[in-house]
Parts: sequence; structure tokens; C-alpha cells
Amino acid sequence: MLELGFFYLFAGLAVVSALGVVLSRNTIHAVMFLIFCFFNAAGLFFLLDAEFIGIILILIYVGAVMVLFMFVVMMLEVNFAKLREGMLQYLPLGGIIALVLFIEIIAAAGSGVFSPEGIPDPGHAAQQVNNTVEIGKMLYTKYLLGFEIAALILLVALVGAIVLTLRTRKDAKYQNISRQVNVRPEDRMYKVKM
Amino acid sequence: MTPVNFPLPNVVPLIPEMFVATMAMFILMLDLFLAKEKKVWGGYLAILTCVAAGGLTLMVGSAESVSAFYGFFVLDAFSSYAKLLIYAGTALAVILSLDYIKEEFGVGEYYTLMLFAMLGMMIMASAPNFVTMYLGLELMALCTYVLVGFQRDVLRSSEAGLKYFILGSLASGFLLYGISFLYGVTGSFDFATVGSGIAHSGSGARFAVLLGLVFVIAGLAFKISLAPFHMWTPDAYEGAPTPITAFMSVAPKVAGLVILIRVLVDALPSLQVEYITIFSWLAVLSMAVGNLAAIAQRNIKRMLAYSTIGHVGFIMLGVIAGNADGYAGVLVYMTIYLFMSMGAFAVIVLMNREGIQGELLDDFAGLSKVRPGYALAMGLYLFSLAGIPFLGGFWAKYVVFIAAIESGHLYLAIIALLFSVVGAFYYIRVVKYIYFDDQRVEFNFVENRLMQATVAVTAVAVVAIGIFPQPVINICKAALGGII
Repeated sequence: MLELGFFYLFAGLAVVSALGVVLSRNTIHAVMFLIFCFFNAAGLFFLLDAEFIGIILILIYVGAVMVLFMFVVMMLEVNFAKLREGMLQYLPLGGIIALVLFIEIIAAAGSGVFSPEGIPDPGHAAQQVNNTVEIGKMLYTKYLLGFEIAALILLVALVGAIVLTLRTRKDAKYQNISRQVNVRPEDRMYKVKM
Repeated sequence: MTPVNFPLPNVVPLIPEMFVATMAMFILMLDLFLAKEKKVWGGYLAILTCVAAGGLTLMVGSAESVSAFYGFFVLDAFSSYAKLLIYAGTALAVILSLDYIKEEFGVGEYYTLMLFAMLGMMIMASAPNFVTMYLGLELMALCTYVLVGFQRDVLRSSEAGLKYFILGSLASGFLLYGISFLYGVTGSFDFATVGSGIAHSGSGARFAVLLGLVFVIAGLAFKISLAPFHMWTPDAYEGAPTPITAFMSVAPKVAGLVILIRVLVDALPSLQVEYITIFSWLAVLSMAVGNLAAIAQRNIKRMLAYSTIGHVGFIMLGVIAGNADGYAGVLVYMTIYLFMSMGAFAVIVLMNREGIQGELLDDFAGLSKVRPGYALAMGLYLFSLAGIPFLGGFWAKYVVFIAAIESGHLYLAIIALLFSVVGAFYYIRVVKYIYFDDQRVEFNFVENRLMQATVAVTAVAVVAIGIFPQPVINICKAALGGII
């Protein structure tokens, strides 16, 4: 009973905060709502005994990704009122597509395949299991190939980010530390015959 | 804590993949130690990597399918053939880049990213599983986003990269959403298990399965630029460095079509009626958009972008046919398209002058008087793309049209025929510029032996396949082993 209460608390707050992300006019507020939404999703994971995923969600998404979001929002002055200008123009078509999609998703979700009766309740089978160890075992055996490809994707992301942002400008003055260290008195000072 | 046993999986089928990954990282490191004028070595090394990977693929490949890494990787004739096409596409694109990119910053990273994109496509071609497929797709896509926006100082390149990135992420989201529905119904990521799971799922699950199908198709259609998911194509093609445009017009399309066929055959066979209906509409739309919009283009890269969309529409006839002939037709089409498209882009890259490439149709006016060889080659590619008989492109269209007619889609074949006549107009218009108009701009050609050899080889291939199409068709039919 207590668990059910917590489920509705977390789930309800997640939905409300997700709506807040979309509807709030202040970008900082939207980011804050998103952080709150992630916290609630983490709570849902804890209820499922998936503590590893819950903690990861808080550490990585809230701790790193959202802080980055915050920086971006603060550093870029984006005029969101201007971005919304074309909205009315696209609303009719976009709205119809969204509505059809929404009905389809509701119908698919309500078709009984994903109902609680269709999926047996695992209870708290995971209570005695160390999530981190089990995920590690799976990751390094069955999902090893996927794990390695993901590592390559990270490398590509790293290389790509550097390629797209790092430019040595010819007109900029750079410090050459080894030249500075190796400088001799003669380089800086010379006697002038009068 | 109990000690965990890590069994070493069978890595032999993955030797080409591991080789390419190692070489990509090696080029990345090597580039740091090369002087500016020797950076081009990275490109030569990348070409060698493609050739060597081809040899390795032929070596480890076998007629029956071999599964490795707990069913997360499969090696069969189908994937081996697709990989060979991908290597050829990448190697030719690298050759086109040798001269084009040497003034840019980050030459080594450029070739590294191309090889990683190739690796992603290889993984896609060998994916028997939604997890492997998605990871391969992302590896490929991430590299191409960066490569499209590589010329950061050129505004349209950055713009194209950003557009491609945002729309590509959206398509990936669609794809994942669709996969999550299929997973929810069947409880598995494995194509074969998903296939049997869907076949045995009751009518209650039908709606969820169809929604999954629609989203998966939308996600994959984006990658092969099938209308109406083609919006990114003209902008990305125009903005990208021309060798990357050539690369994108062939290699990712091969990987996307191969994985699409694998998903349809292995995971969604019980939905064949539904997906054929969807693809029929998409194919007609794609042929219409591609061939009609291409007429209005003045920029040849944009024109070829719409031409790709049209060709993907034709290729879909093979998928719609839904039998061995149709799938073989897709492979034949991609094989021949590889030569036509690469050749045409090679001529465009060769016409590079002072930062402005021969990009407008007007720039081609009078080419035949200055460089009759290039003019002849370009003429051959364009006639072939238009599907004029006894050039490669004719047989490409012939095989998929016949497959579509024999499987009872006569109306589609007729529509395709009409649109290929429309398409012939804008291809032959360029030939008219080349041969019958006076020179309007001063030509300034890049002199590069490897690139000239590319033009010669692709032109000869287009003619040779046009005269002797049977070997290619036979090889492609044999390559279907392991999928059907």
C-alpha cells in the first residue's frame, strides 16, 4: 500500500514536472523542472529495486548533463519568443499528426499487451541481488559487443567535438612555453655601441 | 563475491571490424606525427585499410551464416557482399578527398571519421539484433554528422551539419521508440525471436506491433532518405564537402537498405502485407519527389540529392517484391549505383576551382570542348543514371522492375517507368549543357592521377556491366545466402 502510494507520488510528480518543462516560459525554470522530473524517474527505478539505474540517472543526468544544460542556457541568449513565432502556422498540421499519434499510442498501450495483468509482477526478487554486479556481468559477457561499439561511439563523439570546435587561428598570439623557458639573456638584451 | 568467469567469444568473424577499428585509431595517432605536406598519407592508409578489409572479409566469409558474440553478430554471404560494397564506396570517397581536403584543418581526423563511419556500416550489415543495429547506426550517423559539417568556415556546411544532426537524432528517437514497442510485445531484441514472437502474438498485440513497425520504418526510411523522410537530403548534400556527399550517396544507403531487408525478412515476416502497403506509398512518393523536384535544381549536388531520393524509390520496388529476385535486385541496383554516383561526383570534385566547385549546371557548359574525356565519362554516368539501355543503370532498373511485376505489382512498375522517363529529362539536360553549349566559365581542373583513375574505372564499370550484366546479377543472387 505504501509502495503504491509512493509510485503514484513519483509518477504524478514526474508527469507534472514534465509538463512544466514544456509549458514554462523561463528557460531556467524548464531546466529545473527537467531535473525534478529526473529525480522522480529515479524514484520509480528505486521502487523497482533497480538501484543502480536510479543512482546513475541522478549522478549522470542530474549531476552532469543537466548542469551542462544550465550552462548552455545561461551562456546562449536564446530568444524563445522569436522561436515560437512560426508556431501558429505549423500548429494545424502538426496538431493533427500529434493527435493521431497520441490516439495510436493510447490504443497500443491500452490494448492489453502492456497491462499489469499481462506482465507478471516480479515482487521483490531483486532485493537479494546486487544490481551493479549483475549488470557488470551481463555487460562484459552477453552484451560485450554492444559495450565495445558504445566505447567507439564515445571516441567518435570526442574526436568529432574536437574537430568541429578546435581551430588554431593564424592571427592569434600563442604562448610557446618551451621557448620562454629556454630564452637566453642575449635574446632579450644586446649592447649597443654608442 | 564470487569470481566471474569471462568466456572469450569467437572473434574470428569480427576480424575485418577489429582491423578497421585499429587502423582508424592508428591513423588518428599517426596524423599527430606527420608534417603538413605529408598528411595525405593518412588518406593512402585509409584506402589501403579498405582494400585490406575487403581481403579479410573474403577470407573470413563463408557461404553459411556464422553467429558470434552470443547472437549479437552474424556473418553470412549477404553481410559480406554488403561490406564489399561499403568498402568500395568508402575507398572511392577517400580517393576523392585526397586533394579536396588537404588544405583543411584536421586531415587525420577526417580519414579516421570516415573509417569509423565505415565500421558503423559494417556492424549494421552484420547485425542480427536491434541492439547491434542501433549501435552501428549511431556510430555511422555520428561520423557523418561531423563530416557533413567539417568545413566549419563555410556557413552552409555548418548549417547542413546541424540540420542533419537534429533531424537524424529525431529519426533515431523514432527508431528506438518503435523498437521499444516490438520489444514490449516479444521481450527480445533478436530479429528471429522478434519474428516468431510477433507471429505468435494474439490479435490484442496487433496494434502495438503495427505501431512499432511504423516507427521502425520511419526511422530507417530517414537513413535511406525515402520520401517523406527525405527533407534533410538536399541541404546535407549541398552543404557537405563534395567527397562526403559522394560517400553519403552510396555507403550509408547500402548499409541502410541491407539492415532494412534483414529487419523485414527476419523480424517482421508476419507483417509483410502491411509493410508492402506502406512501402508502396513511400516508393511512389519518393519517385515523384525525387524526379520532379530535381528538374528545378540549378546546383548539381542538389540535383543529385533529389536523384538519390528518386533512385531509392526505384530500389524500394525490389523490397516491395519481397522475394529473392527483389532482394537480389536491390543489391544489383546498389552495386551499379555505386559506380554511377561515385563517377559523377568524381567529375564534380575534379572541376574544383579556387574554392568554388563546378557545382552549378551552367559550369558544365562546354565541358566537351575542354576535356572530352571527362565529358564522355560524365555523359555515360548521366545516361546510365537515366536508365538508357545497355549501360549499367538500365539493368539496375530492369531487375527491380521485373521483380516487382512478377510479384504482382504491375501498377507500381508502370508508375516507376513513367517517373524514370521524367528523370531522364534532367539527366540528359546536363548532357546537353556539356556537349551543345558554349563554354561560360574558365575551367580549372584538379590534376590527380588516382582521381582520374577513379573516373576511368567507374566509367568502364558502367559500360561493362551494361554489356555483361549477368555476372553481377549472379553474384548478387548468390549473396542472398543466409538471409533467405
